[in-house]
Amino acid sequence: MFHDNLTYHFNSSEEDKKILDKSLQREINMARNIQIQLLNGKTPKFEGGEVKGSSLPARLIGGDYYDFYPLIDGNIRIVIGDVMGKGIPAAMLMILTRGAFRSASESTQSPGETLTAINQAIYEDLRTLKSFVTLFCADWSPSTGTLTYANAGHNIPIFINGKTLEVKELPKVKGVMVGGLPNQRYKEVSVRLEENDSVFFYTDGIIEAQNKCGEQYKLERLVLTLLESKDYNVGDIEKCVMSSITRFTEGAPQKDDITMVLLKIRERKADISSLNSPVLG
Amino acid sequence: MIEYSLIPLENHLVVNLYGDLDIDSTEVIEEELLPFVSNYKKVHFKFEEVPFVDSSGMGLLLNLVQTLSEKGIKVKILGIREEIMEVFELLQLPEILGDGIFV
Repeated sequence: MFHDNLTYHFNSSEEDKKILDKSLQREINMARNIQIQLLNGKTPKFEGGEVKGSSLPARLIGGDYYDFYPLIDGNIRIVIGDVMGKGIPAAMLMILTRGAFRSASESTQSPGETLTAINQAIYEDLRTLKSFVTLFCADWSPSTGTLTYANAGHNIPIFINGKTLEVKELPKVKGVMVGGLPNQRYKEVSVRLEENDSVFFYTDGIIEAQNKCGEQYKLERLVLTLLESKDYNVGDIEKCVMSSITRFTEGAPQKDDITMVLLKIRERKADISSLNSPVLG
Repeated sequence: MIEYSLIPLENHLVVNLYGDLDIDSTEVIEEELLPFVSNYKKVHFKFEEVPFVDSSGMGLLLNLVQTLSEKGIKVKILGIREEIMEVFELLQLPEILGDGIFV
């Protein structure tokens, strides 16, 4: 049993308040470092493409989440998510989600199964805490060039066709957010990606970023930025998106966490058997 | 930050909401509105003047409706803007809250 009414409470003198503030500040910084370390985990390297993620919390720490999990069959499982709320409470639930994703990835065969397992694992906790998490989970297969994905209430990623330069959302797939309803099964959709195609996974903090007039960045501006930067590598595309958002918001306070993951397909080797399993680098 | 006005009618209470439903609305919804509307049997929340709902706001709405439904209070949500409804549908809020809540 975790007791909270036996915790030592500071008196309300000015000196005690200063000590408490200092102690809180130190603990927030430590929590932030933990989150940065966990979010900046190893990015998988694989032949025929590149993947990268980045996150910018609205406050010192945030509730957005992305992660990669290399699978035994050479595929890479990608997840991006948004915990309800922001700041410290969201960050705590983000860590809960990360643990559930990592253990579910170990024991499940597909992104839909992973979402089902995560929901089973943390549904009760999320209901107790009156919270929820949206998650989009995808398996990228470098050997077959197929992206298979499932969705738990998250934004549909954007697909950038490297040949036709068409930019649109991936085919829609719906599913209840994690923590919404128990015993959920999540549908899966597969698409084939060709050379120079990219997929941009993101959280709503990007399209809902506001400028001083209260206007939102919106999907249209994101699509334009992705088109302009289509020839860059994943790191530079991310920088272009961040720079475009910063230009748009003109210093207005960031209201929500901003997170993105980019998958870009490069020239694939003719000899599939030479493909190595992805390695974390 | 959300504000509200109340119109008690013969058969139900109408709650008009104004402004963004976000994390800054937590105290208004949970500490003011929820205890008050719990005294009625039917409550209609009107969203015509709510331009934006973030994830915290969706959580607040989810808990508001679920808490009232558990008490046997009939809730309807009216006038949700199209762009907000799109996000609600992505989250499958109508499925989670049950048929007939969103009108």
